Amino acid sequence: MTEFDSLLQGMNLILTPGHIGLMVIGVLLGILVGVLPGLGAPNGVALLLPITFTMSPVSAIILLSCMYWGALFGGSITSILFNIPGEPSSVATTFDGYPMARDGRAAEALTAAFSSALIGALAGVLLLTFLSTRIAQFAMTFSSPEFFAVYLLAFCTFIGMSKNPPLKTVVAMMIGFAMAAVGMDTVSGNLRLTFDQPSLMTGISFEVAVIGLFGIGEILCTVEEGLVFRGEHARITPMVILRTWAKLPRYWVTIVRSTIVGCWMGVTPGGPTAASFMSYSIARRFSKNRDNFGKGEIEGVIAPETADHAAGTSALLPMLTLGIPGSATAAVMLGGLMVWGLHPGPTLFAEQHDFVWGLIASMYLGNVVSLLVVLATVPLFASILRIPFSIIAPIIIMICAIGAYSVHNTMFDVFLMLGFGALGYLFKKLGYPIAPLVLAAVLGDKAEDAFRQSMLFSDGQLGIFWSNPLVGSLTTAALLMLFWPLIGRGFSAIRGWGNRHSIKAKAL
Amino acid sequence: MSNSSRPHALISTRWVELGLGVFTLLIGAVVMFGSVEQGIGWGDAGPEPGYFPFYIGLLLAAASLANGVLTVLRWKPLSVSFVSRGEFRQVLSVFIPVALLVFAMPFTGIYLASAVFIAWFMWRDKVRAKPYGLMMIASVAIGAVLASYLIFDLWFKVPLDAGPLGDLANAAWRRFK
Repeated sequence: MTEFDSLLQGMNLILTPGHIGLMVIGVLLGILVGVLPGLGAPNGVALLLPITFTMSPVSAIILLSCMYWGALFGGSITSILFNIPGEPSSVATTFDGYPMARDGRAAEALTAAFSSALIGALAGVLLLTFLSTRIAQFAMTFSSPEFFAVYLLAFCTFIGMSKNPPLKTVVAMMIGFAMAAVGMDTVSGNLRLTFDQPSLMTGISFEVAVIGLFGIGEILCTVEEGLVFRGEHARITPMVILRTWAKLPRYWVTIVRSTIVGCWMGVTPGGPTAASFMSYSIARRFSKNRDNFGKGEIEGVIAPETADHAAGTSALLPMLTLGIPGSATAAVMLGGLMVWGLHPGPTLFAEQHDFVWGLIASMYLGNVVSLLVVLATVPLFASILRIPFSIIAPIIIMICAIGAYSVHNTMFDVFLMLGFGALGYLFKKLGYPIAPLVLAAVLGDKAEDAFRQSMLFSDGQLGIFWSNPLVGSLTTAALLMLFWPLIGRGFSAIRGWGNRHSIKAKAL
Repeated sequence: MSNSSRPHALISTRWVELGLGVFTLLIGAVVMFGSVEQGIGWGDAGPEPGYFPFYIGLLLAAASLANGVLTVLRWKPLSVSFVSRGEFRQVLSVFIPVALLVFAMPFTGIYLASAVFIAWFMWRDKVRAKPYGLMMIASVAIGAVLASYLIFDLWFKVPLDAGPLGDLANAAWRRFK
């Protein structure tokens, strides 16, 4: 069956009033968590997970993925109108979006942001549509050593490519792995690291960590900075939309370039945040209006938004085909898949054909629905931000507590959330990244299984990770990524030495 | 704390870095200890359960130690203030109530604790020119709690712990019926 047939089948499956209603609800909730400080896409999805247990997997993934798109869109509203990024990935949008809003061009900035975001997202979905089956088929030949090597590559890329200090990334990641190890061992059935505490027997769920680290931690940081929302007003009229759309084709080079950057960063675990920053700085370097960047240049809104959404959608490609999420939100969704009893990875494409193609089809439709909903509801959500913090904050905290409680229906999880909240505050202030912790907490068990099975095959010899060209190159690439900061420094040192040498030679 | 760059600084960054380093080191040690209990070697069925977590704990401890060493090496630049007194008071003014909320929940149930929490949070906001009226406070607090009951308990069938008070109300309702 070709991709096109499968896609049509998926469209057939999701084009019901119920599913479209779920899409609109998901997008609205997503915009809400994207707009509110302290709630973002990862913990929005984590909060919703418990209520999806009663749904069918297709409905559940439509709700969650649409929430993700909505949150990506919502983040740009606050960036442009309030100069406060609702999501880390929309920081780069504030650089030119807010100056535009202060010039009274808020509606134009918002329309440009949303439209280019849609283009980026659709490019990401196209990539997913035509590459995923092939990658999944290729990955079908993998056995445990290959899978472990792929996990290793993902984790090492995080350490080597992260903007945070590598050692701090390692610490965050290992805490995630340690969390995943708590509770029942999947192979032997032993209870590990529980120290005879009954409340630890079910393990530490990643949802609780996400809610505490992102939710409570974020609120504490917001309070410390003493944020006051003073925003610009915007009303989007059809005239403004049409006028902005007429301008967009002029920036096609920027859009194409940003899409490529976004897709690349989304598939490799660079994530949307890195993608939007990178795309912004490349656009500034190559733009004709270089001097206008930072003062309200529309290209400076288009570039990060396109890349942000392209990365957000293409992050689902490795998640679905290999079981490796490209962003924190994708990691939480992956956890959801496992909770619903699905096994992310290449077999998903063979066994859960309807689920996969329903999801891919819903991504086309969901992003278009997002654009329409977000254009229509900007004034509404902007007014939500004008509600005083002393009303919003306690309600957000209550939602976080309820969300943590409902994961296992235990109060112990609410205590844990409090602890993770304090940890999240310290992590954020000291430059420890949170995403690797979440990734490791979700993938820890699977990575360990793959490692232990490989060790069983080889009788404890690490050489199995170089036993054939495929696994060998994956492992080598992983190690290269891990030591990339050191290698890079080594290269520049050699080059610097060489330059000095040649200058000396010329001087002589 | 004495030689921080700002007069109102509560604590310098290096001490917080070290403190967090010690904390993560301890977690690493606990993980290693727990893994040794499970056996970290090679059993009849291949690697024993503690095999993988032991190295996780080891890596965690090693990375924490290295972070500590880096902090000591950058002792001077890290003397900048981590948080000022005023800022930390702000953080505590939210963190302590949240902690109280969390500790009260098992006794009062989620609903009552949340309603009181929201009401108290609004009541103590004296920064505003005009404090919230009693009606406003009551309607927001009760409205939020009612909405979460409707959404979670009724709509999505995720029962929330109503605490002893909820049990009492339930019993009274049954008797009334």
